[in-house]
Amino acid sequence: MSTVFDLQAKIKELLPDLDCVIGWKQGYDPLHATPHFMRTEADVDSFIFNPLCVHNPATYLPSLKGKKVGIVVKGCDSRSVIELLQENLINRDDVVIFGLPCSGVVDISKINSAIEKKGLNPGRIESVEADDKTVRIAIDGQKIELAVADVAAPKCTVCRYHNAIESDHFFGDPLPATVENDEYADVAAIESMALADRFAMWNKEMERCIRCYACRNACPMCVCRDHCVAQSRDPHWLTQEDAISEKLFFQMIHAFHLAGRCTECGECQRACPVNIPILTFKRKINKELKELFDYTAGVDLEAKPPLLAFKVEEDNINERGW
Amino acid sequence: MVMSGYLKQEDLAAWIDAISADHEVLAPQAQGNSVVFAPYVKGASLVFDRDATTSPKRSVFPQSEPLMNYTYKKDPEDLGKVDLELVEAPAPKPTVVVGSRPCGARGFLAFDRVYYGKTVTDVPYLRHRQNTAFITMACSEPETTCFCHWVGSGPDDAEGSDVLLTPVAGGYFAKAVTEKGEALLAKATVSSDAGKEDEAKAVVQKCKDALGESPDLSTAPARLLERFDDMTFWEAMASKCISCGACTYLCPTCYCFTITDEICGSGGSRIRSWDNCMSFQFTLEASGHNPRPTKAHRLKNRVGHKFSYYPTIHDGNISCCGCGRCIKSCPVSVDIREIVLSAMEPSQEAAND
Amino acid sequence: MTENPMSVDLSNEQNPYLPVIGTVIETIQETHNIMTFRVVLPDAVMKDFKFEPGQVGQLSVFGTGESTFVINSPPTRMDYLQFSVMRAGENTAKLHTLKAGDKVGVRAPLGNCFPYNDLKGKNIVFVGGGIGMAPLRTLLLYMLDKRDDYGDIQLLYGAKSPQDMAFSYELPDWLGRNDLKTVLTIDREAEGWEHAVGLIPNVLLEMEPSKENTVAITCGPPIMIKFVLQALKKLGFEDDQIITTLEKRMKCGVGICGRCNIGGKYVCVDGPVFTYAQLKQLPNEL
Repeated sequence: MSTVFDLQAKIKELLPDLDCVIGWKQGYDPLHATPHFMRTEADVDSFIFNPLCVHNPATYLPSLKGKKVGIVVKGCDSRSVIELLQENLINRDDVVIFGLPCSGVVDISKINSAIEKKGLNPGRIESVEADDKTVRIAIDGQKIELAVADVAAPKCTVCRYHNAIESDHFFGDPLPATVENDEYADVAAIESMALADRFAMWNKEMERCIRCYACRNACPMCVCRDHCVAQSRDPHWLTQEDAISEKLFFQMIHAFHLAGRCTECGECQRACPVNIPILTFKRKINKELKELFDYTAGVDLEAKPPLLAFKVEEDNINERGW
Repeated sequence: MVMSGYLKQEDLAAWIDAISADHEVLAPQAQGNSVVFAPYVKGASLVFDRDATTSPKRSVFPQSEPLMNYTYKKDPEDLGKVDLELVEAPAPKPTVVVGSRPCGARGFLAFDRVYYGKTVTDVPYLRHRQNTAFITMACSEPETTCFCHWVGSGPDDAEGSDVLLTPVAGGYFAKAVTEKGEALLAKATVSSDAGKEDEAKAVVQKCKDALGESPDLSTAPARLLERFDDMTFWEAMASKCISCGACTYLCPTCYCFTITDEICGSGGSRIRSWDNCMSFQFTLEASGHNPRPTKAHRLKNRVGHKFSYYPTIHDGNISCCGCGRCIKSCPVSVDIREIVLSAMEPSQEAAND
Repeated sequence: MTENPMSVDLSNEQNPYLPVIGTVIETIQETHNIMTFRVVLPDAVMKDFKFEPGQVGQLSVFGTGESTFVINSPPTRMDYLQFSVMRAGENTAKLHTLKAGDKVGVRAPLGNCFPYNDLKGKNIVFVGGGIGMAPLRTLLLYMLDKRDDYGDIQLLYGAKSPQDMAFSYELPDWLGRNDLKTVLTIDREAEGWEHAVGLIPNVLLEMEPSKENTVAITCGPPIMIKFVLQALKKLGFEDDQIITTLEKRMKCGVGICGRCNIGGKYVCVDGPVFTYAQLKQLPNEL
């Protein structure tokens, strides 16, 4: 608790020099946190930090370029900030980074499933207490206790960066790593499927896509913003037809555009209103990038993302050898 | 004709099967962790105990559909001469939406006033509308995002529905609301059971009680207009908005669209597809000028349209059905209730003085 | 609503999105980026086709889409419908490739019109800039065809340079008429230019039209309109003595699709013609 208190004190101290500081507060019900743009001391008082703070505030930074802003980041969020800095999409001098250790955030859809399994309606939530280990929910007169580990966001189960990697002010005690390596087991499992089955699975998943592009807009690295090929007529790569091929094609474009840039913050998948597991596409590409270039996005401010660099000889690409 | 009666849980599937014999049936089904309205095939398991993530909007207003198809035809005698053939899209199939909540079915009333307005009859829309019936599930409990009672509706609002089902012990109390509904209900095995009607009333009353009091939104249209130039307010409200279209595409009352041409070889379609006012491109003019250049301008339009402009030109009717999908499925939990109430604030302060 | 939409008999209703297939009979390259199309509709449609000055239409090339243009020929001259298209986006670029004999989709008339009946007996001052001359041309030609119905008519038409001036083939007639006072202006001096030089609002102030029994009708780029309005106010014109037309991105053209609204007003059905008094009532979102 004192971590949050210290953080709030620091934000209040620096707030006069900042346009705003982005963090989290409670949203429309006790289960939902919401991004919080702090501009006054009273705003800072309603700041919260717990495993319900699922959003990646780095998403907002490119659109605030030119303003002096503060941002509170978890380890994964800080990777997005680093990637944005690497690509010159934001200026380091304009951003004050308040770093936190994080032992994992929840996947709200997993909590909803857990509540539904008990025959209760997640929309009837009364109160929630969440700490590093446990989420305690009062709902419809009943109490449910869930271990954060059981309802953790998929990214947290393979997280190697619990602590903000880049920060101006770090609060709390850094957490030790819990996972040595991301083996991309989820991707490998899909890769082992027969091609036809894989295709059938994705067709089924993409069928319910409503083309709202929340996946794109929630992505901190989606930098084309208002000039995305999804709506463009020139180039006219996508039609407006309600066809799975169009929906899947957009995801392919998105994944390829993020090759070597995606920090796997999972916002695309979390934002999807119909829960399509689209982070998998990006993880597939990242798995390839890891194998080809031994590169992990957003962990080293000085590194050059492999597809933004040109080397005459790549170690793992046999250029003309075939 | 059967006007009302008790439908046992075990007879529900047979009824839906009977309807699906000569109708396309759209019903809420679990896909991944979501519940979406999808075409019903016999034996599919349906989810009625919570409202679907998507609204039943696609039944009448498809995500994308051709308004017409066209073909360029070269004259074999004179290749420089090209004729154009236009064919209207075929009439839609009769459709029944099963298991929408009252808010979802009622959403189309907001469409009707516009698509069948003073100046225009949107024939493609009305073809769908007239061909679609709603078997609606009344609500027994509200969710944290529900606010249908704010906008003049309630858990058993039958406006826009053809049959209203209310969950009771062992099944449903079913009531036909329209002639179309009577014909549909005639296909069901229902028994008369006066006790069930009372039970249904009690279920709904409990839900109404749980919803509680609603704020008075009568000053919202004027207040929102007064706020029009207060961009500090709108920027604060829109700070966390990521300008995606989840709110509008899930909304049962959002009816905006775009028209685009797709072409393949010598022919193609002019397509009407969902579009949304949260997108930068929506109002972008060919000159590069954009009257709604920032997300704050666009969020203002969305809220203003629903709670101010629309009621002003449509007899006070709010263009929001209170289903709460825009809140529940917003990736960043933007809460339209909070925005409307905040916009109204000065009037409340004045009233307290 | 007078009827329940569920019980409307659709068999007699027209699909409002279905264009009539027109034929381009002539194209005129007006300027480097403006092209005029003269279009005829099938005989059966053309003989009953009615519209009023100021109304717009959607022109389409199937495959690229529709765009909105004013019908800039007057209803008193029904040999063809004329549209002038400035190249700006995908569809206008495609339109510019059309030639005589090509087919074009037409949805018209759409929107409101100039209050040409209420203007009877009044003096008129037209102030047009660039492609903004197109809607004014409709009403100007209409008034010239019904000359006795109106008082003095003045026209101030400006463009960046002589090469940017559309309808150049008509200018000699307009300049030569004694029942019309025409002033042409360009932004900067140009060789061979014998007319006024200067920005439209400044030339307007020099013209000093009387506001008595007069209505000013202006159309042009937003920045020009802004300063023309200021000039007209300086000349004493009241808000309801000033008429202009608005442009917005449109798709449906029938007040549904949701992008051309300013508050509760839809430019495609409540406009494009508004008085300045009406504009002032609208929320500030141009």
